[in-house]
Amino acid sequence: MENFFTGIIIIIFGAFISLFLKNQNHKIKLTSISAVIGAVFTIVSAIKALSGTLEAYSFYLGPVFQNVVISLDNLSAFFVIFISLMSALAIVYANGYLKKYIDNKKDISAHCLFFNLLIASMLLVVSAKNALWFLVVWEIMSLSSFFLVIFENDKKEVIKAGVKYLVYMHVSVVFIILMFAVLSINSSSLDFDQFKILLNNNSALCNLVFVLGFIGFGIKAGFTPFHNWLPDAHPAAPSHVSAVMSGVMIKTGIYGILRVLSFIQHPSAQIGYFVLIISVISALYGVLYAISQHDIKRLLAYHSIENIGIIGIGIATGMLGLTYNYMPVAILGFAGGILHIFNHSIFKELLFLAAGSIYTKVHTRDIEILGGLIKPMPKTAVLFLVASIAICGLPPFNGFVSEFLIYFSMLKGLMINNVAFFIASILSIAALALVGTMAILCFTKVFSIVFLGQPRSAAAEDVKEDTTISFIFPMILLALFTLLIGVFPQYVFNFMMSVVNIFTRNNAVNLSQTITVMQTLSYCAFGLCGFILLLFVLKCLFKNKHEKHSTWGCGYNKPTAKMQYSASSYASPFIKTLTPLFKKVSDIKKPRALFPAEAHFEEHLEDVEEAYFLEPFFKTVERFFAKFEKIQNGNIQQYIAYGLVFLALALLSVVILG
Amino acid sequence: MDKNIAIIMINILTVLFVPFLVLGIINKTKAFWGGRKGASVFQPFYNTIKLFKKDKTISTTTSWIFNFAPVVVFATTLFAAFFAPMVNGYSIINIAGAFVIFSYILGLGKFFALISAMDTGSSFEGMGASREACFTTIVEPAFFIILASTVVLSGNYNFNSITNTISNFQSYGILIAVLASISLLVMLLIECSRIPVDDPSTHLELTMIHEVMILDNSGFDFALLSWASGIKMVILMSLIANFIIPSGLNNSLNILLYYLIIFVLAVLTGTIESAIARLRMSHVFEFIFVMSSLALVIASLTAVKIYGV
Repeated sequence: MENFFTGIIIIIFGAFISLFLKNQNHKIKLTSISAVIGAVFTIVSAIKALSGTLEAYSFYLGPVFQNVVISLDNLSAFFVIFISLMSALAIVYANGYLKKYIDNKKDISAHCLFFNLLIASMLLVVSAKNALWFLVVWEIMSLSSFFLVIFENDKKEVIKAGVKYLVYMHVSVVFIILMFAVLSINSSSLDFDQFKILLNNNSALCNLVFVLGFIGFGIKAGFTPFHNWLPDAHPAAPSHVSAVMSGVMIKTGIYGILRVLSFIQHPSAQIGYFVLIISVISALYGVLYAISQHDIKRLLAYHSIENIGIIGIGIATGMLGLTYNYMPVAILGFAGGILHIFNHSIFKELLFLAAGSIYTKVHTRDIEILGGLIKPMPKTAVLFLVASIAICGLPPFNGFVSEFLIYFSMLKGLMINNVAFFIASILSIAALALVGTMAILCFTKVFSIVFLGQPRSAAAEDVKEDTTISFIFPMILLALFTLLIGVFPQYVFNFMMSVVNIFTRNNAVNLSQTITVMQTLSYCAFGLCGFILLLFVLKCLFKNKHEKHSTWGCGYNKPTAKMQYSASSYASPFIKTLTPLFKKVSDIKKPRALFPAEAHFEEHLEDVEEAYFLEPFFKTVERFFAKFEKIQNGNIQQYIAYGLVFLALALLSVVILG
Repeated sequence: MDKNIAIIMINILTVLFVPFLVLGIINKTKAFWGGRKGASVFQPFYNTIKLFKKDKTISTTTSWIFNFAPVVVFATTLFAAFFAPMVNGYSIINIAGAFVIFSYILGLGKFFALISAMDTGSSFEGMGASREACFTTIVEPAFFIILASTVVLSGNYNFNSITNTISNFQSYGILIAVLASISLLVMLLIECSRIPVDDPSTHLELTMIHEVMILDNSGFDFALLSWASGIKMVILMSLIANFIIPSGLNNSLNILLYYLIIFVLAVLTGTIESAIARLRMSHVFEFIFVMSSLALVIASLTAVKIYGV
């Protein structure tokens, strides 16, 4: 445990000391060095915990907190590893990314401080085993990420997104507080172990606690009815912050759900189906809106919702496996879901970092005006391509492994003799397949509009790739991770087993079939890569003459960049079939008369949840509260009168109630 | 062991060379219904050989993706064929959950086909790519529902368990096998760009889907792509054949029946192409939803059969 605390102290101290440095470049260097060193220490501690050493520490923190336990069980250790690793890579990347801002005389001290505070608080969140302590570090995490989001605080929309984020996080924390309140009142303790004992064989309380926890943590994670903050906050934040928020921070929401789940021995069928339905909706909703987006970071944010949904499908399948007491389904479901947490954080971080590299060069997030970037930015293009293939869940990359595990667990679930689960599984399988193909549609769109074809505007011309080591190294490392997990799924699967044990409570199950499949998957990944490379080499050897010519345009020889398919036209056949699911806002000015002087066409799609539910809802709330404006009239005498009335009422109530 | 090696050899040869014959037979059938004599059934093979030798023209807009993609498309299609049950209901790589791997490997090929089309910056190819991507999203879930249902029916996660559908469940099995075959035939018409969804014999119509995506490919690349498309067709035909052929027949009869069914399917495809016109683009969706609804019917039948609801 010393390693863990040393790591956290290094991370926090590095950040505070950086405040006293004069040179902005040194500030970010110091923070990133401390984050990397801290990451090494915490990872060492986590690996120790996974290999069986007891990593725990407890101290008495006054009568309010009581006994605070900080410990690393397998679940915490898993989260510690990926939080440290992913955050450290992102802050290394920040060295390159923030250069532009430093050159513009932007003060980055607060940014550096809050970044490391965010890392430290996330590590503390996943290691906390005391409810009140958990809430404190949870709040530090939310606040520090808020300050990271509003980095470009001179922009109005950034502040707006930041405040929205802050509000959502506090709605979320209300539910989490409620959940912990229910738990601690009933167990008269703040300790997680006591909660576990309390919830043993109390299924009514289990359901209540889980639903409260799911809503609270689900807002953080971005499950669908609660996702609205995500697509605003991610584009507002700088790229490495979006990478950490989407890749790592929202996973603390999933951690919360998993932690609550670990209190419950036998989740009831109701909550299992509840999570499954919400997850399927999230996955479909996320990818559907991603297809309609043209802002690259907004699009990636919607993809986070999709992937959270996929993770949720895995977890829900695992829960139902526990409910019906069929361990193979439970193990594979949880393994797939939890592995997908890790996988998603790898390729999503890679995508956000690559998007950041593009943004620093073209200064726009609108993909419609990009194009042809594969030529000036070949390395970024390859890295983005790798991440795109991985996020679509295609072999030989890591996304496939976790999605395959989820599929496999549901296929096994089909065999449980339960008709409800049969229907749920078969529909979820179809949904997952649909999500996968929609992701292919979305990422072929993004990749080809951004990188392929011809530049669609001056912004995308004369770009030069920045290949400084801090820029490119984290991305290459992430790309390697996606490939390694993809080609060696058998080791990763074994690793996952130790994490999954928390939920399946060490029930021994024969998994030889799955292990064989994982082994074969590894061979297949190698075979596929080898086969493609071999053919490519053969093709290169097979030298035919070829001549260069402009793209064939039906006999028209002067194609321009404007004639290319755009992102909206690429998505349009699909969007058209699902028109009712969008709110279309269009501004059309048709050409009129014989010599039309001007014409204009603009169309964009809005989130239906926001347009038809949230906005009317908040308007109503606003109207309601406007009625109380008279009470707050700025007259200090009146305020004192309120105080007097309140005191009188309080006294009266004491007298009456005795 | 020797028998296995023989079957593997037959499988590989079938995957590689039957596609040309199937295409030849389809063209011959179309010629027959059109009252023409038609080219030899080996013509597609000669064409491909010729294409391999030809020089090619590459668009100046393209990048390495355009050069690399045909290889990926071909390799993934061939690799996917190793997972599918082919001659004698035999899958070369026979593992649990193989149909998921099969679909995702094909998905990788499709990914590259799509970005390769977009790489040219041509509006025609963009149009084709966007439609192809859109149709796939509707086809794929239906395919998964069908295969998942057959997995439950046979109680075995291997892809070649589809061969047991009929023999395990008698009349029910026949019903499901027939429905599955029809929906796979629909999938074949969509995925392999046949009428009524797409028209492979012309490249220049604005309603094109798959065929327009390879408009700028020529020579070696074009040969690979059309070969891959043929292989995909044979894979889907093999799936249909394996649904229909009852298991437990002796090997030679089984193999004979397999080739007979492939032949019949090729003639059927040719006949469909001669008999009906291509659908309007807006009606293509309705056609694809036939497959989805059949898949749901299969899933419900499976539920009824197993749980006796």
